[in-house]
Amino acid sequence: MVGWEVPIGAAIAFSFGAIGTGWAQSRIGAAGAGAIAEKPETAGTIIILEAIPETLVILGFVVASMIILMVK
Amino acid sequence: MDWGYINARIRGMKSRLLDHRTLDNLILQPDMDSLIAELEKTAYREDLIEAKGKYTGVTAVEYALRNNFVRTFRKVLDFSKEKEARLYISIFLHRWDVQNIKTILRGKNIHVTNEEIVDCLVPVGELDEATLTELVRQPDVKAVIDLLATWDIRWARPLTTAFPEFAKSGDLGMLECALDRFYYNDALQAVSAKGADNAKIRQVLSLEVDVVNIKTILRMVRDRIAPEDAQKFLLEGGQALDEKMIARVLVLPTIAEAAAMLSTTWYPTLHPTRYRFLATIPEDVLRAQKISVIEKQLERHLVREGVDSFLGDPLSVASLIGYFWAKYNEITNIRIISRCKTADFPVENLREELVYV
Repeated sequence: MVGWEVPIGAAIAFSFGAIGTGWAQSRIGAAGAGAIAEKPETAGTIIILEAIPETLVILGFVVASMIILMVK
Repeated sequence: MDWGYINARIRGMKSRLLDHRTLDNLILQPDMDSLIAELEKTAYREDLIEAKGKYTGVTAVEYALRNNFVRTFRKVLDFSKEKEARLYISIFLHRWDVQNIKTILRGKNIHVTNEEIVDCLVPVGELDEATLTELVRQPDVKAVIDLLATWDIRWARPLTTAFPEFAKSGDLGMLECALDRFYYNDALQAVSAKGADNAKIRQVLSLEVDVVNIKTILRMVRDRIAPEDAQKFLLEGGQALDEKMIARVLVLPTIAEAAAMLSTTWYPTLHPTRYRFLATIPEDVLRAQKISVIEKQLERHLVREGVDSFLGDPLSVASLIGYFWAKYNEITNIRIISRCKTADFPVENLREELVYV
């Protein structure tokens, strides 16, 4: 029987990853918009930089999934 | 405050500033036409094309540089939406208002034509071109100050206060000093709150006050002005010079001794200050009382310190300060090159006149 701590743990793993990603992307996005405004040729690099923090939320999602699937 | 966007744009703009190689290339151009052709390959192209439609030679370059400077800082002000950033930028741009008002007052005082005055103005601050043109149309110094007061422009306050003294002595320096004092007091007041950005701006302003005061002190020593009159000409808000130090320097008989004293501290032991370069100025320059050479060294020091701000925290006002000084220095360098090309100044000497940062 799974207790309340499993979904709570999964939620924590996912939400902190999502919050961290959101914060990082907002900062990178602002700076990236500035960089593209001055040098449009940097757009490709900026898009890659903007995507890098996504790994954090993906990691959170994987950990949350593992908690739900593996903790019985 | 999020400096990310502003910092990224400033750094993008900084990448378009002329590097050493381009400046050297400009120096090596044989004449004015080839200098303009070379400048057209840089970020000044648009402004030069517009300027060439109205003027030729060095006048066209100066017009283009002025327009570029105005356009650049209007752009910085436009993309800085946050209140705090706009305050910091306007502190730097207000000095051009002060400079423009001084130019108009000087022009009116020596009865220069309106066209000549307008050519020397840089409408990058709060006072736009239309306002400045209307000020230039006034017949004399008093009328300019009255119009500023009628429009309730802040710069009227120090001018109105100092005007009776000017009317008595006819010394325009009284009005200029009052304007400078008001500008620095006002700016330091605006950034008096706690915070790293405010502290950085205070530091830059204090450094400028120190440099202005050192120049004034050296002139006072040269012209043997009584130390009692010091407060009339010196600005408040500096860090390097306290009243005791100023009193000690002002009683010295020569500029050489004054420069030597300003290059060291007295307490707790003698050791070099940030103005230690004053001690390295050649003796013949000091003996000949060539203040312009010392002033140039002080200006260089100010520019270098300003541009070094780029090395500070990128998520602060530091990059903005760095860019302001770097752009100012670039325009000054190009002006020097273009003036020297007109005067057939030797290339070897020309390099020494520029400030590389």
